[in-house]
Amino acid sequence: MMAARGCGRRGAGARGPDPQEEPPPPLQAVLVADSFNRRFFPVSKDRPRVLLPLANVAMIDYTLEFLTATGVEETFVFCCWKSSEIKEHLHKSKWCRHTSPNKVRIVTSDLYRSLGDVLRDVDAKSLVRSDFLLVSGDVVSNINVSAALEEHRMRRKLDKNVSVMTMIFKESSPGHRARCQEDDIILAMDSTTNRVLHYQRTQELKCFRFPMSLFQSNIEMVEVRHDLLDCHISICSPQVAELFTDNFDYQTRDDFVRGLLVNEEVLGNQIHMHVTAEEYGARVSNLLMYEAVCSDIIRRWVYPMTPEMNFTDDETQSYTHSKHNIYRGAEVSLGHGSVLDENVLIGQGTVIGSNCSITNSVIGQNCKIGDEVILDGAFLWNGVHVADHVEIRQSIVCDEAEVKEKVKLNPHCVLTSQVVVGPNITLPEGTVISLHSPDEEEEDDDEFSDDSGVNKEENKVKLKGYNKAEVGSEGRGYLWKADDENEADEEEQRQNLWGPTLNPEEESETESDLSLGSEQPDSRTASPQLDDIKVFQNEVLGTLQRGEEENISCDNLVLEINSLKYAYNIGLKEVMQVLSKVVMEFPLQQLDTELDPQHYCLMLIPLLKKWSPVFKNYIKRASDHLDALSAIEEFFLEHDGLHTSIAKVLMTFYQLEILAEEMILFWFSQRDTSDKGRQLRKNQQLQKFIQWLKEAEEESSEGDQD
Amino acid sequence: MEFQAVVMAAGGGSRMMDLTSSIPKPLLPVGNKPLIWYPLNLLERIGFEEVIVVTTKEVQKLLNLDTKMKLDIVCIPDDADMGTADSIRHIHQKIKTDVLVLSCDLITDVALHEVVDLFRAHDATLSMLMKKAHEPTEMVPGQKGKKKPVEQRDFIGVDDTGKRLLFMANEADLDEELVIKRSLLQKHPRMHIRTGLADAHLYCLKKYVVDFLAENRSLTSIRSELIPYLVRKQFSSPASLRQRQDNKEQDQKKDQKSLDIFSYVKGDSLLEFAPDKSCWNSHSADLNEAFHGGKVRCYVHIMKEGLCYRVNTLGLYIEANRQVPKLLPALVCPEEPLVHVFAQVTDRGLVGSDSIIGSSTQVGEKTSIKHSIIGSMCTIKDRVKITNCIIMNSVTIEEGCSLQSCLICHNAVIEKGADLRDCLIGSSQRLEPKSKHVNEVIVGSEQLMEI
Repeated sequence: MMAARGCGRRGAGARGPDPQEEPPPPLQAVLVADSFNRRFFPVSKDRPRVLLPLANVAMIDYTLEFLTATGVEETFVFCCWKSSEIKEHLHKSKWCRHTSPNKVRIVTSDLYRSLGDVLRDVDAKSLVRSDFLLVSGDVVSNINVSAALEEHRMRRKLDKNVSVMTMIFKESSPGHRARCQEDDIILAMDSTTNRVLHYQRTQELKCFRFPMSLFQSNIEMVEVRHDLLDCHISICSPQVAELFTDNFDYQTRDDFVRGLLVNEEVLGNQIHMHVTAEEYGARVSNLLMYEAVCSDIIRRWVYPMTPEMNFTDDETQSYTHSKHNIYRGAEVSLGHGSVLDENVLIGQGTVIGSNCSITNSVIGQNCKIGDEVILDGAFLWNGVHVADHVEIRQSIVCDEAEVKEKVKLNPHCVLTSQVVVGPNITLPEGTVISLHSPDEEEEDDDEFSDDSGVNKEENKVKLKGYNKAEVGSEGRGYLWKADDENEADEEEQRQNLWGPTLNPEEESETESDLSLGSEQPDSRTASPQLDDIKVFQNEVLGTLQRGEEENISCDNLVLEINSLKYAYNIGLKEVMQVLSKVVMEFPLQQLDTELDPQHYCLMLIPLLKKWSPVFKNYIKRASDHLDALSAIEEFFLEHDGLHTSIAKVLMTFYQLEILAEEMILFWFSQRDTSDKGRQLRKNQQLQKFIQWLKEAEEESSEGDQD
Repeated sequence: MEFQAVVMAAGGGSRMMDLTSSIPKPLLPVGNKPLIWYPLNLLERIGFEEVIVVTTKEVQKLLNLDTKMKLDIVCIPDDADMGTADSIRHIHQKIKTDVLVLSCDLITDVALHEVVDLFRAHDATLSMLMKKAHEPTEMVPGQKGKKKPVEQRDFIGVDDTGKRLLFMANEADLDEELVIKRSLLQKHPRMHIRTGLADAHLYCLKKYVVDFLAENRSLTSIRSELIPYLVRKQFSSPASLRQRQDNKEQDQKKDQKSLDIFSYVKGDSLLEFAPDKSCWNSHSADLNEAFHGGKVRCYVHIMKEGLCYRVNTLGLYIEANRQVPKLLPALVCPEEPLVHVFAQVTDRGLVGSDSIIGSSTQVGEKTSIKHSIIGSMCTIKDRVKITNCIIMNSVTIEEGCSLQSCLICHNAVIEKGADLRDCLIGSSQRLEPKSKHVNEVIVGSEQLMEI
């Protein structure tokens, strides 16, 4: 899969012979205006994610402003989902005016399925000339990357293009609001060179594992850092795009980083990092982050991108800023007795009734809010109607939705575009209501590349009308959630949309047992890789069973096992072990009872004969022989009753020329075995067999001499 | 009294059997002083007046030290195979305060208050001393080639300040991965993992740790069991507390059975107030209580410069002897001359300034001694050349010998004209005249048996 390639194969012409003499070429950026996932469904069904308003300004505008401010002169915006809307938005924006210092070029294709596809296209079209910035369209940041860029260029000059990427991180302690669990990372770095040694997402991991190979090399001090927020901004060299082309299985940046770190020794490419402490950078990757980033913007953490600056230069977006971070647009009317507590943004033309209490909220343009409304942590987009006596907490109400009288929205509710709820209804925590029926999703847009599968229930009852119990008597919209029969799913769904809740202080697990040894890692959750092997084993077993029933030829079996190997990303060594194990257990699978040794041999030997080409295909090197032997040994150790047949089995393997005699002898003489292993080696027949092998070998070597 | 000092001198020196089979490790001469003199001197300099020495009967018989401190020598039974933790358990009746535990093989010029201050400032459970490990520079007799003994590395995790000890693991206990708990990194999000550090085996321990040791007989070694246990316990919550919450109705029998370190932690009632009342906090970013409520805290002082040797291998023994002439003048008060006043040296000019010669040793004419340490009551005849050697007591070297980088134990006799390089000569060995040896270990057969 990995193919090393000379770096900068076409860079020479563009980059010039000596970078010292020429000023660096204009900085370019690749902005991926698609997330290639459904984290914002159903909100993003109406509007692409990058156009969702953050403090009344589309996300992509923040990203473009960040790029422009940091000195980018040409930006390629790659769109896929709802690309026409993004295009329209950009054409109207200041980025497409002649005066814009940042030339925005839009590239659309419905064929992009991942970040990998985009970068492969970048490579194919030769869009970038030199180091470029890679960001997604939902990044909000005020970081000045010039220092990091300088470091990056210096490293590449000194080290002959070894470092291909510099990732930018923001320092923030665990428990920081903008660190959602979903995107949390742990990384190990070389503190002297800022090289990234290990990068891992920490979601739901109780403990972190670092391969020993990190500590083998000449790095004196490895620093483990859990205080970093990944800003999803990276400085890439043109090689990055080439590497994506070379490795067509890279889909995401995570794949890329992992692939590069794992294959560091093979490819010789390195990744470095830059940490900023003072500046702001975050990616709106889920609703939890949406809430956090929105609040940060209102609280002016992203200065100079604050609402009253009107950086998009749009006349409907002019605000006045007064103390306690209250921002008001033009023609806002506030009724008698209404209080704007703190951190409130109100868009142009919004009318608020009397005796309302509004705090920590964003209200879009042309909203109508009735009397005695409580808004706390509410995000109302444009044209929302809120009737009297409504209470909205920590929820999102999208464009032109309507909330009727006496409705209460508990935290983490989402009403998408044009939904109507109420009157007199209380939506429980985490309710999601959309005009799109959850079922229609299966039919439309399955071109959407997806992983999570928000909704898997296929045999769901089609909802004909709106359920009055869910949305209120005058309500319009479908409830987006799993079937009621499965409470756990419901919880999962809520988490999926809003994102896992922050758990700042994770309780350390108790170690109630006093015994010292038992606290070792074995009690921890098994690594996913192990599970893969198990699944792989089952698949191999299935394949062989079918092969036995349908008399499939060995060549095809090998093909199938190979494809399974790639599907589960299993190493050759594991294939060897699994294959041996499965075949050895095959007779046991077919009969439930423990067999006696004789019967077992009778059943196994024909199978071995039949499948010997399969074995031969995999057992080639000396280590393969030993892996197979150890798998065989392991099998016999697990099945005490069959000990006596080991000699016969090995004999068969030997006669079929699967296992070489030297390797069998070598295995037999291995000293570092367990007690049971030694017990096994004392087996009479095995001793005899080994004796016989030795004699045979001597004879044959004598024969050679003659 | 704030601290009681305990010197552990019961170890056998199993990693340098060539030497320790004839001389107990605490008594091995380093710069003509028994090894145990160095930790005792360290304690004396800092003002200790009493020291508990845990050792064997054999050592007690031979121990003859010149010190102003009151030594309380406790012998452990000869036959019992006791670890360091066992030894502490053995003397725990004598421990009334926090303790400072030292190994007898520590030679260092560390400012001991650095370690103790860490202990005091953070109300620590444990504070210890580490130093960057030495790359062995000296040839070790009998060692073929330049291969380094493959030792299991320790992984030491310290926080950003480099003082809090967060993590400790030995390569031997790890498979292919280093596993770090999330809860740890949640509290200390930046951790430096260092590998090339050597533990000086100097520990400040709270009294309650000794109490804990006394009850928990499963622990045998301080270094390999107790310390990792304490380091790990820093980030786990007390089991007994939880149990109490879980089953209040049930008898507290369970608590009695599974006592962990938390049951022993005794806080100062006044100190418990302090974190609440003061605005000081141990960490930034969140407003949890100082130290995140952890009761067990371990700290380490990592020496950046200065000498710190643990004499536990032959290589380190030789290395320590090389370094000691530089170190001794600072340690001994009043200053002792490197060449003892009772030594009879004919040609003073031929003795290097970094050589040490013990009392009643006779050195003949035209004998040159460079970079070497010579014990007391030795007889060195004429025209002998000694370079880079360690010669113990009562050794006789006849005329015309040439010794280079050798280690000669007590009572050995080197006859005329022998030429030795990189050799170790065991106690009471006699070398033939004109014999020539390079890189050999020559010890008695009975010593070999023990290996």
